[in-house]
Amino acid sequence: MSRRLGLVLGLAVALLFAGSLLIGPAALGLGESLRALVAGGAERGAVALVMQEVRLPRALLGLMTGAALGLAGAAMQGFLRNPLAEPGLIGTSASAALGAVIALQSGLAALHVLALPGMALLGAFLSVGLILAIAGPRGGALTLILAGIAVSAFAGALTALVLNLSPNPFAAAEIVFWLLGSLADRSFVHVWIAAPFVLAGGVLLLSLGRGLDALTLGEDAAASLGVRLGRLRLLVIAGAAASVGGVTAVAGAIGFVGLVVPHVLRPFVGARPSALLPASALGGAAMVLAADIAVRLVAPDRDLKLGVLTALIGAPFFLHLIWRLRRRLA
Amino acid sequence: MTLMTLENLTVERAGRRVVDGVSLNVGAGEVVGLIGPNGAGKTTLLRAAMGLLPARGHSSLADLAPAARARRAAFLPQAREVAWPVSVAVLVALGRGPHLGASGLAEADRAAVDRAMARMRIAELAERPATELSGGEQARVLIARLLAQETPLILADEPVAGLDPAAQIATMAVFAGLAGEGRGVLASIHDLGLAARHCTRLVALSHGRLVADGPPGRVLTPALLAEVFGIRAHFAETPEGPVFQPLAVLGDGPG
Repeated sequence: MSRRLGLVLGLAVALLFAGSLLIGPAALGLGESLRALVAGGAERGAVALVMQEVRLPRALLGLMTGAALGLAGAAMQGFLRNPLAEPGLIGTSASAALGAVIALQSGLAALHVLALPGMALLGAFLSVGLILAIAGPRGGALTLILAGIAVSAFAGALTALVLNLSPNPFAAAEIVFWLLGSLADRSFVHVWIAAPFVLAGGVLLLSLGRGLDALTLGEDAAASLGVRLGRLRLLVIAGAAASVGGVTAVAGAIGFVGLVVPHVLRPFVGARPSALLPASALGGAAMVLAADIAVRLVAPDRDLKLGVLTALIGAPFFLHLIWRLRRRLA
Repeated sequence: MTLMTLENLTVERAGRRVVDGVSLNVGAGEVVGLIGPNGAGKTTLLRAAMGLLPARGHSSLADLAPAARARRAAFLPQAREVAWPVSVAVLVALGRGPHLGASGLAEADRAAVDRAMARMRIAELAERPATELSGGEQARVLIARLLAQETPLILADEPVAGLDPAAQIATMAVFAGLAGEGRGVLASIHDLGLAARHCTRLVALSHGRLVADGPPGRVLTPALLAEVFGIRAHFAETPEGPVFQPLAVLGDGPG
């Protein structure tokens, strides 16, 4: 990643993070908000509570969610050498969602605040084990994609089954709303749940740049360049599952970020997979922070879901990219 | 000095012996042409020698740890894959991967990349996206990546396929130049004319077995050409070096 691109993306993330802190239903002044953010002890009033317990965790979650999805998307695309790959491809998102849905349906989620994210993480980790068992020790990209599709489809079917058998419409509605993906009404508990997984997964994925670069030449050439493909695959899956599982557990399934962001940024990093990793982390953070500000501005009192908005923006944008690609190839 | 030793190398796929007990040495200063008809097992032999396929027998390269092997031998796969539109300079620099320290490309690495691009005459392509080149240009860029690795030994699977005549001869001359520096090359090659002129030694494979190993004149005999390739050819020593031209397919084709 060039210094200039890093600067531009970093600045965008910083501005959007500030925007996320300053925009919300409680109309607070700028100075008042910033003072409240650092206020402590006896002077902590309602404003401080809003800033510190509502907006700060929400902004942090937006940052983490976007960074995790963008980074995991770039890593998956680099590893599979396919611009259509996305973090959900290995079934982590669907499996984490299944875990969360089971927690909601069984009533576990109502018992303890950690039950839902815990079940979602359990789902994510089970899916990794399953993927590795299906794809086999030597298999290349193709077996991994097929295993991911199988696991995603199965987790999706089980989620549908839970919804199908749901005895009351309120539980079903709650599940559906959770599945749409949102950062509203989250607290620092959610930040602390997701942060270790996002950080560990992120550090892991960022370390894989050289192997992904070598894979540009194909699997045989990469192996001859000293890349241990089996190990690389394990680390890509583990890193993507940890970071995507972590954010899905607290935010639900948020689509299109991991697909669109690496795709958009690729030309700006000279298409190098290693440079695309940090760029996509920043780009993803910017996109999710922006979308999460937008849901508050577009329909402040309708609780528009973040996942709905990212898909609404993402899909036409993606079509536009395909259109441009088609014109260039013609 | 021997750069690679294969002993009784055998690869089985779906119960069929694709490579069958091949023993072979490649030494410093040699350009060894690996010849044989389609399906003779050339690609499988090269991949197994690199340790990219599980094999029985022994390959001195496959025994090395991946990082050490990447500094001993460079490998050009037959499939010319360039997944992303990276610039030619970036693509060639991937060959430096096995030599890189923590801080990325050092001065010596950039010099190696420049040397490799100069050798393959692609310096003027340096900033072009590698995916937007013609097939032949892309092949030269990928060979430059191979050269940038600056290993004692090069294994190349059909390096000159799809190149124009000038680039074919130039590439074989580059290999000869490397051999002159004391390095070694093992390259599979279908063009027997190029093989006869530019290789110091030929190794013929048929049905996975090594059936001939020696100087071109001793390997490309009428009997071997009939038996292994099912062709008849004209082979002459001329003042311009050996000239080899396949003439006709024999009655029942390859045996």
